[in-house]
Amino acid sequence: MKRGLLMKYESLLHNLRAVYARLWVRIKGGNREPEWLIAEMVIPVITLSAYVYLYKMVDAPPEYASFVIIGGTMMAFWANVLWNMSAQFYWEKEVGNLEVYLVAPISRMAILMGMAIGGFVNTALRAIAIFISGILIFQVPVVIHEPYTAFLLFFLTIGSLYALGMMFASLFMLYGREAWHTANLLQEPIQFLSGTYFPTTSQVVPHMVQLLSSLIPLTFGLDGIRRVAILGEGFSDVWINVLALVIFIAVLFPLARLALRYMENLGKREGRLTLRWQ
Amino acid sequence: MAISTILRTIKQSVWIGWKVETNWADPLVFSIYYLIKPIAGLLIVGFIFLIGSVVSGTVDPGLFLFLFIGNSFFIYVMQIMMMMSMLIHEDRAHYEVLKHIYLTPGSLHVYIVGRALNGVMNASIALLLTLGLGVAIFQHGLAVPIQINWLTIDLGLLGLTMLLGIACFMAIGFVLCGINIMTSKVQFTLNEYVSGILYLFGGVVFLPEILPQWGQYVSNALPVTYFLRLVRFSFLHQANFDVQANLLYLFATTIITILVGLAVFKVAMFKARRDGLIDKKEEY
Repeated sequence: MKRGLLMKYESLLHNLRAVYARLWVRIKGGNREPEWLIAEMVIPVITLSAYVYLYKMVDAPPEYASFVIIGGTMMAFWANVLWNMSAQFYWEKEVGNLEVYLVAPISRMAILMGMAIGGFVNTALRAIAIFISGILIFQVPVVIHEPYTAFLLFFLTIGSLYALGMMFASLFMLYGREAWHTANLLQEPIQFLSGTYFPTTSQVVPHMVQLLSSLIPLTFGLDGIRRVAILGEGFSDVWINVLALVIFIAVLFPLARLALRYMENLGKREGRLTLRWQ
Repeated sequence: MAISTILRTIKQSVWIGWKVETNWADPLVFSIYYLIKPIAGLLIVGFIFLIGSVVSGTVDPGLFLFLFIGNSFFIYVMQIMMMMSMLIHEDRAHYEVLKHIYLTPGSLHVYIVGRALNGVMNASIALLLTLGLGVAIFQHGLAVPIQINWLTIDLGLLGLTMLLGIACFMAIGFVLCGINIMTSKVQFTLNEYVSGILYLFGGVVFLPEILPQWGQYVSNALPVTYFLRLVRFSFLHQANFDVQANLLYLFATTIITILVGLAVFKVAMFKARRDGLIDKKEEY
């Protein structure tokens, strides 16, 4: 009994070390190149500026420019989930690291967890810069009456996005060149469906699109954060968004674990885990 | 180099580009992948426009046409930039074939032009599908009037504008290739910078007059602004539009861009050969 507990404790400690190791590499690697750091802060501001000017052209109220800035800020996290979580095992396979992960006596989830936490820290730095730049350049309104609710929604959105990223990672593990195309493909369509730059609750958006939007955790997160941070609403107005995000997290984490195990076994059977240059 | 050699090299590089771009999936999956991205881009700006117009109380179909045509034809810029920004990295570091291409009797310039033309081919397919689906979604699905008479398009002007525009975008692509041959750190971001700046200042989805004064100066210096103005005119035939002046500006900015593109690439290749960068190994 005691020995069993000790082994579990040792295994937990071992996996936590793996989380820390992967996290460290992610933070160090992500901030090593100043060119990348600048690009990840400047490019989103350029893109969201075009959409802010589009709203200005049609004389939309200034809150809509704030919607764009919050959307652009959260898009930094989605890009990180897509390229540095989902597609990461594909890159690792291409450079020959994946096999090292697989033979190491640690959980694959520990590796993914390390990537997720490190990715979150890196992206948070960039997201803050994007948010502040957007607010300062366009002088848009931000009205937060309940900062705790805003933070709760933000962290739940991040949790659900990274859980989704972990699930996609298993799929990308077996991909060849289609990994690149798939990650590319999941950018604009998700920006459209999740209402990154416009509210999906608008009467202009068809019901079918709204239905599809509700399958994406980012939709609930963005809607909730905007309502709390721009429209000044409180927890009682956005509790359904909180509930939806909690459900997404509760479903996506176990699914990610199952998917990873399944895809790894499939990869072993088909010999695709170390196959490069497909 | 003989014309026949140039044409053969272009043909082969278009073909290799097509294979690299498409043979990872069956044609149906490939078509879906290539269609969804531009359509989603159009839907984003279309819905921003519609939602913004509805809350402000006026929907101007003329402005919708402005962004519809601008966003659709901007596909060429996106495709050419993406293709030419990644080309050197992929051929040098990923597939390790750049040194072999460099050693062949055909010119590397011609090979790059061929690969870029493959991007133009893909962009043309995406453009036609985007225009068709865009009309279906916005005009028939959302009742936004798209008043284009498809039979009165000025094909001569459109063809000339496309020729100049594509030559200009390829010249910008040569600058990207030149930068990428000297460094291996910016291939993923360079095309996004360039496309993003051209998208913001080129009058793609909003009128450049909304930009601050300095932004309008930038807009007036960019060839993409004149390219899109002429493309719009060939579809819409607006009154009080000076075709000759815009054509002249597009021609002049294209010539300047080509000269700059070729000069940057020449200097980059000289430095690359001197510093041994043509077969530089990294990442993979």
